[in-house]
Amino acid sequence: MCGILAVLGCADSSLVKRSRIIELSRRLQHRGPDWSGLHCFQDCYLAHQRLAIIDPTSGDQPLYNEDKSIVVTVNGEIYNHEELRAKLKSHQFRTGSDCEVIAHLYEEYGEDFVDMLDGMFSFVLLDTRDKSFIAARDAIGITPLYMGWGLDGSVWFASEMKALSDDCERFISFLPGHIYSSKKGGLRRWYNPPWFSECTPSTPYDSLALREAFEKAVVKRLMTDVPFGVLLSGGLDSSLVAAVALRHLAKAKVARQWGSQLHTFCIGLKGSPDLKAAREVADYLGTFHHEFQYTVQEGIDALAEVIYHIETYDVTTIRASTPMFLMSRKIKSLGVKMVLSGEGSDEIFGGYLYFHKAPNKEEFHSETCRKIKALHLYDCLRANKATSAWGVEARVPFLDKQFIDIAMDIDPEWKMIRRDLGRIEKWVLRNAFDDDQNPYLPKHILYRQKEQFSDGVGYGWIDGLKDHANEHVSDAMLMNANFVYPENTPTTKEAYYYRSIFERFFPKNAARSTVPGGPSVACSTAKAVEWDAAWSKNPDPSGRAALGVHAAAYQEAPEKTLATENSSSLDGRPQKLQDAMVEATATATAL
Amino acid sequence: MCGILAVLGCSDESQAKRVRVLELSRRLKHRGPDWSGLHQYGDCYLAHQRLAIIDPASGDQPLYNEDKTIVVTVNGEIYNHEELRKRLPDHKFRTGSDCEVIAHLYEEHGEGFVDMLDGIFSFVLLDTRDNSFIAARDAIGITPLYIGWGLDGSVWISSEMKGLNDDCEHFEVFPPGHLFSSKGGIYRRWYNPPWYSEAIPSVPYDPLVLREAFEKAVIKRLMTDVPFGVLLSGGLDSSLVAAVTSRHLAGTKAAEQWGTQLHSFCVGLEGSPDLKAAKEVAAYLGTVHHEFHFTVQDGIDAIEDVIYHIETYDVTTIRASTPMFLMSRKIKALGVKMVISGEGSDELFGGYLYFHKAPNKEEFHRETCRKVKALHQYDCLRANKATSAWGLEARVPFLDKAFIDVAMSIDPEWKMIKPDLGRIEKWVLRKAFDDEENPYLPKHILYRQKEQFSDGVGYSWIDGLKAHAAEHVSGKMMQNAKHIYPHNTPTTKEAYYYRMIFERFFPQNSARLTVPGGPSVACSTAKAIEWDAQWSENLDPSGRAALGVHVSAYDPAAVPSSLTTGTGAAMLVNKKQRVMEAKAPELTISS
Repeated sequence: MCGILAVLGCADSSLVKRSRIIELSRRLQHRGPDWSGLHCFQDCYLAHQRLAIIDPTSGDQPLYNEDKSIVVTVNGEIYNHEELRAKLKSHQFRTGSDCEVIAHLYEEYGEDFVDMLDGMFSFVLLDTRDKSFIAARDAIGITPLYMGWGLDGSVWFASEMKALSDDCERFISFLPGHIYSSKKGGLRRWYNPPWFSECTPSTPYDSLALREAFEKAVVKRLMTDVPFGVLLSGGLDSSLVAAVALRHLAKAKVARQWGSQLHTFCIGLKGSPDLKAAREVADYLGTFHHEFQYTVQEGIDALAEVIYHIETYDVTTIRASTPMFLMSRKIKSLGVKMVLSGEGSDEIFGGYLYFHKAPNKEEFHSETCRKIKALHLYDCLRANKATSAWGVEARVPFLDKQFIDIAMDIDPEWKMIRRDLGRIEKWVLRNAFDDDQNPYLPKHILYRQKEQFSDGVGYGWIDGLKDHANEHVSDAMLMNANFVYPENTPTTKEAYYYRSIFERFFPKNAARSTVPGGPSVACSTAKAVEWDAAWSKNPDPSGRAALGVHAAAYQEAPEKTLATENSSSLDGRPQKLQDAMVEATATATAL
Repeated sequence: MCGILAVLGCSDESQAKRVRVLELSRRLKHRGPDWSGLHQYGDCYLAHQRLAIIDPASGDQPLYNEDKTIVVTVNGEIYNHEELRKRLPDHKFRTGSDCEVIAHLYEEHGEGFVDMLDGIFSFVLLDTRDNSFIAARDAIGITPLYIGWGLDGSVWISSEMKGLNDDCEHFEVFPPGHLFSSKGGIYRRWYNPPWYSEAIPSVPYDPLVLREAFEKAVIKRLMTDVPFGVLLSGGLDSSLVAAVTSRHLAGTKAAEQWGTQLHSFCVGLEGSPDLKAAKEVAAYLGTVHHEFHFTVQDGIDAIEDVIYHIETYDVTTIRASTPMFLMSRKIKALGVKMVISGEGSDELFGGYLYFHKAPNKEEFHRETCRKVKALHQYDCLRANKATSAWGLEARVPFLDKAFIDVAMSIDPEWKMIKPDLGRIEKWVLRKAFDDEENPYLPKHILYRQKEQFSDGVGYSWIDGLKAHAAEHVSGKMMQNAKHIYPHNTPTTKEAYYYRMIFERFFPQNSARLTVPGGPSVACSTAKAIEWDAQWSENLDPSGRAALGVHVSAYDPAAVPSSLTTGTGAAMLVNKKQRVMEAKAPELTISS
């Protein structure tokens, strides 16, 4: 990843302004430790902090078209840049950077080229010919982007809030899949896939088509000139990423430079379930596996930094970000600059526990759509910022545009969890990679139900966080929480603790509004709370009772063929159950 | 390099204090991006930010003795750690870190062990058995260290000023070669080499002994588990470092892991003298050579960051640090974590221009002693902090303890610049590597006189800085300079500009006292100004006239003397304009 900051039309072209922008841009230096650049055109500034993944020697930014009349600062990877270059025969390219194509596409097609880009990106493009500009963010919001307005009439864009929060009167999270045009003066959605309308699709499930789409998504993401690896928690999603990456690595260009040995990385407290599960998968695949163990104290010591980097006070996100943040530092210290990661699968296929309660396929499908639309506020935010904090780039093949189109086009009947038919969560995905001839993964791993991330790193983690928060937050403080924090009021001491740290770094109203809130049960959207009368009726904000009912429902059903592993694990570990429920409290979506 | 921060006896064991120490320690994160650690024992905190060079997998700090009663946080490299380990057969080591030996040596020998260490280091050691501590800094001050005192009775020790300046009532530079012990609360100098007294040595010059001592110094510094390279400006010192390194690389452990191909790095404005000279040397030696070009604007944009990192307002240091700072970022981006550099040679051998005027060998020798003693405030400060800003470690073989002993015991008669005998500056060093059979460098490089660093990067660099400063500092501001900055008053706009930036980051009185000042001619100490009556008589703060005299002294047209016959003299004349440009600023700092 890189870090971008653009200030447009600030009516100030002084040296003082320039050094202020350099100073602000430095707040994004962790995202791009390799080099920085600033292009100044009158009162417009485009700054860039670069992490060099493609063309490390010449691709410093900002980037230009031939006559330098178009300037662009980009955070992203354009996987189809070679194909796009081929379409722009009359254009002369200055660098080998994948992002340069953006300047030339704009020159050729105007504002409408964004959907031609296959990849993840946030960019600001300045057309000096008429001093207009556009800014855009990738379809799902894998890369972060914020937009702000100054009292001087300036428009600001930044990869992270910390670069603009002090200088803007108001700012927002830039909507994924949107483009802002200074000429048209507003945000417009450029991403219009069929699933966006939330209509229920009817294409029958084709396991091979799904498999092929995912393989393509992974192969694209092997485009790199620097060493890379795979984040492997041992669960289904990360194991599939590792299995597919391994299968295609030998043929990739990167293997010629850095060898065909695949590196995998896992983090956990000593003896944690993830470490064990990942080790098993790594052994099966024969990867070069790196295990990182951290202590609860190390995690707690990092919390303030995590919140500063991730820019959220969402409890689940912070819990899950911390181990990922620590691991990223270790990964980077090994010289690895890019990792593939498994985010997005749970949203696309309805992998969360509460999907067991989906009343029908229409509801199931709409909920997956809502979850994907909210990804940029949760898992994308975490995956990107936790890694970027240390100059590591995370790529997420499950959120490939084509893969999403195929996965979201499947008749959701097939995604429904049907214990009677032997279909557990994400069955369509598991089944797609169930290849008896040439197995991607052993069956027991392919059909294994895994801990959620924060749990998998070790049960002591969440307990440790709660204990720590209890030491900092008194009952009296929590009682006044609704007065102190009327918006998204924290309902647990842990949430209160995170919130107080967040407010210290980002004290503005606008900052607090970038973080989602609202009711949720175990990661559901607010809408899905309606699925179970007990959930919505339950006034306990922790949703504890509601989820208890849910778990118990399975306990009464003895058909062990189904998701019983889930229920028994919940019953067997009451502490863990509580954790899942507390997660429910602070998690929700803005939709 | 790593970053250390210790807070001892602060009478506060609260969570809030821990969080504060963590926050301050993070200010040193650039020095040790790979991992961090904090050990708390009562009201004593030892924090560490690690750059992993030796034993990346297990050497996280703080480090301990067997029963964990002794805790140590170290920034450094102990080149003779294997030998020292062997001398401690009954000790059990926990890690492969070279620094762990410090804890065990203390256990075995008490405070008297420091002179046994061969390397660069700053450390704080806490003995929990009696709650005492010691802190020490290497002989020459290659690693930075500051010490401070809090109003609560605490003692603070930190690798950089920014780790303690906000929380201490008073702080100062920790003197190199010293040890601070909490028992008695005093400094003691542990470094007592023969040259320290400044008595005139009489050992005859033996080129082979000098050569061998330098080769040994370089070989020691090839101890690394990560990729490394050499900084190559194309001048004598860096060329010798590169030549000797490439000769000995093949046999080392580093070569087994990372190949025998030596990487060399050079920075400059496009078309600069250094780039050309370095390329020539690199081609001769067959290194993989990396050239980095920067623009004056790139440099100016980095100035604030440079001053924040280097923690000085010394004009020459800032000028020379900036290209090094920019280059370090690029080097790190290539995955290189350690570089060998040529600092120290000019001080040991009297390589500066003004040494031509040394009246006799006694004065010559004393001046070299004074220069070596002051290195920690100038070139060591620059070399360490400019690289550490990007998590890169600089090693300086010329400042090897054993090499210094050899070099400083030579009868200084041999070091004197004697154009009549064909001896130009640093002749003893050149001669030592003048091997006809098996040449280290081609003769014309070996006997070439090079630009000083800031000049070598390109002539417009200094001009650009001055022009930029002139835009920020008005004549009126200069008029009031002595009232605003009564200590070390800036006498040029450039100095004033740097000072403003420094004061913004480090507003405390203690901070400005850490930076040296006083009269100087072209990098001389204040004492050496007596060498030429015209120097001390000249009240022009820019000293330009004084240096003009100096340079013209060699001009055969102006002063036809015996001095004008040497090669050195001819070259000086040719470069008169540049020399003046380069030298003027050194003269500007007067107290």
